[in-house]
Amino acid sequence: MKFDGTDLYAALIHELKNDLGLLSMTIDGIPLQGDTAHDATVDAARLLCQNVVDRLQQSLLIYKAIDQPIRPAIDAWSPHDAVREIRDRAAALARGRIRVEAALAPDVPEIWFFDRDLVEMALINAIHNSLAHARSVLRIEASMTDGCLALTVRDDSAGYPEHILACVATNAPCQSTGTGLGLQFSRLIAQSHDNRGRRGELRLHNDQGAVFCLLLP
Amino acid sequence: MAVDSGVNPASASEAFIDYSALRALVVEDYPGMRNALRLSLTNFGITRVQLAANAAEAIYQVKQKSYDFILCDFNLGDGRDGQQLLEELRHSHLISLETVFMMVTAESYYEKVVATAELAPDDYMIKPFSPEVLRSRLESVLFRKRAFRDVYRHFQAQELDAAIAGCDKLIQGKPKYLVDALRFKGELLVTLGRFEEAEALYQQVISMRAIPWARLGLSRALHLQNKDEAAEEVLRDVMEQAPEMVAAYDLLSDVCLARKDAPAAQVALEKGVAISARTVRRQQKLGEIAHTNGDLDTARTAFSNVLEKGRHSVFVTPGDFGNLCRVQMEQGDLQGAADILKKNKSTLQASPEGQLVMAVTQGMVHVKSGKLREAAKAVAEAIALRERGTRGDANLMLDMAGTCMASGRHDEADGIVGEVARNAHDSEVLLARARKIYDEAGRTDAGASVLAVATADVRKLNNEGVVLAQRGDFRAAVDKLLTACAEAPRNPRIMMNAVWVILKYVDQAGMDETMIEAARRHLDEAERQAPGHARLAGLRLQLKNVESRFGIRRKGSA
Repeated sequence: MKFDGTDLYAALIHELKNDLGLLSMTIDGIPLQGDTAHDATVDAARLLCQNVVDRLQQSLLIYKAIDQPIRPAIDAWSPHDAVREIRDRAAALARGRIRVEAALAPDVPEIWFFDRDLVEMALINAIHNSLAHARSVLRIEASMTDGCLALTVRDDSAGYPEHILACVATNAPCQSTGTGLGLQFSRLIAQSHDNRGRRGELRLHNDQGAVFCLLLP
Repeated sequence: MAVDSGVNPASASEAFIDYSALRALVVEDYPGMRNALRLSLTNFGITRVQLAANAAEAIYQVKQKSYDFILCDFNLGDGRDGQQLLEELRHSHLISLETVFMMVTAESYYEKVVATAELAPDDYMIKPFSPEVLRSRLESVLFRKRAFRDVYRHFQAQELDAAIAGCDKLIQGKPKYLVDALRFKGELLVTLGRFEEAEALYQQVISMRAIPWARLGLSRALHLQNKDEAAEEVLRDVMEQAPEMVAAYDLLSDVCLARKDAPAAQVALEKGVAISARTVRRQQKLGEIAHTNGDLDTARTAFSNVLEKGRHSVFVTPGDFGNLCRVQMEQGDLQGAADILKKNKSTLQASPEGQLVMAVTQGMVHVKSGKLREAAKAVAEAIALRERGTRGDANLMLDMAGTCMASGRHDEADGIVGEVARNAHDSEVLLARARKIYDEAGRTDAGASVLAVATADVRKLNNEGVVLAQRGDFRAAVDKLLTACAEAPRNPRIMMNAVWVILKYVDQAGMDETMIEAARRHLDEAERQAPGHARLAGLRLQLKNVESRFGIRRKGSA
């Protein structure tokens, strides 16, 4: 195989991502001992590990998005299944430290057309944020807004800082590290969803905490 | 703990899955990952877990006992990949539609290739994933399989109309499975030759959203109605939107061939191979088309890949060795061909077909290197095999005819060419190759007469039979076409026409056991000669209808 410089980095990140995945599964295998000091440390390691895995996955996607726009693989998926899956993942990451709730509005249809993997990556990114900042509760919602499927992650944190809200609202580039990087990535994913000229959106606001919302046409 | 509203609307009893009853197989080449996956499964209650490190081990395990759930890594090291394993398991009917097959991919690029493959897994996971995701997706697939239980049952009993009715029930009553049911119904309609209805169905899906598989389905339905220009237009769009969808390139090559544009068909297949080089059947087709186009380098690479990447694959036949050697000899590389034979001697000796490939190819090598005595010996061996009923594919038989001619055995050569021509009376490519063999042997006139006689007989009988059938004289039509079958016992078109008129005749005149038996036999032969031909499933279904109307249960039928 032949690599140029950037491909080599991508391959390296890819390998690290897989190793970390294995590490994360190994940590999952450590039993809880009921000893707070021990269990909390294991939990923290597990959360951090998952976070790094998800971040690496994002960075690979962003790396590809430099050359060409993200091309979602759209198919029919169940929003019900997606919310349940994300709730289970969030609950596993939270391990009872933060309460995880899920809610589906009655008018959410049985199927919707979107790229399940990309959308879940964006939502997990928001969930990592909320787990880091929420006081006690995190809530995943699905509802219909302006004819779009709205997938929302909300928490009871102090909310997004003003400059983040401003850059997302104006579609300007956000800071390229931490929360900003993740949001930029989520915005790319939302906007890559297009249905008959209507583009997806990322909307952020504060309402007794941070509210992260993907609108999928 | 979690306060949920509106999630999991299904009733609790309906939503119960007994994980402890599931038998699972994990196929993964990396031992660390294999054990981690087993642990994940155990954690949510699947305790009956077997492990396999590669495709060969997986096939062995699946032959020993049946599994409900196969979790398979796409990348399995040097051997076959997960997609090839899936294709072999389904092709050889080692797993049924009820078995859940989930693919694990590490590359997000392959995830798209896998997700858009024609024979797609039930779902796929991108590595690394958490146990919760695995559990949640497995659960969704199990519920879906439960909803499709009746459809699958009818499908497996070849009751395709009932399977379609089952899909319609889901389409009307289970909005969650609307799109899945439409997808399955579309495939059934195509199998039954109901292309117009399939076209309308795919248009219906596209009106919801222009997803790639629906557009591919639309394109196929158009192609099968000979609307190739429209089919190609749809395909070009698919390729722009989903360039990793390999099946689109396969279909495009079929469309190009229908338009008699073999160079364009080759270009399309080369693009498909660039995405997924391991699929044996795509390489076989590329080799054949490149050979027809006179592009020997490409043909050689493709045929070598068939043998290299298809090692142990059920899709590789002795004819594939013959194909590679033929190209090598046309390139003047006699040593290369001899090496291939030597290296694969034990594989080829294992079956009469393989022995025929060996004898014919060896004969060609000897003829080309001027060793006429050895050539005569190989030719004699090939002739003996043929007399015992062994046959190869049409190209190998033409090779054999050429070698016979070079050894002065003109009568045998003419007999073989006549047989090939009768069995492929409508194949321009094969007839042209036969003519070339006679030209090279300086027997142009003899060849013209052999071919004319062979094809004229079959064509005449076939046409007369079809005309009689159209006039409604099915009895006389049956006689004509059965005579044609006897003349051309491997000609799929003749076989299918014969089956068609027999069914018409029985429909009109009442049951005739001998005729139905002949119909069965000819349909089986047609299937062997032209696997997957668009007319086969429709005939199969009509035969079944006639059988059940007259109360016949075939011995051993499912």
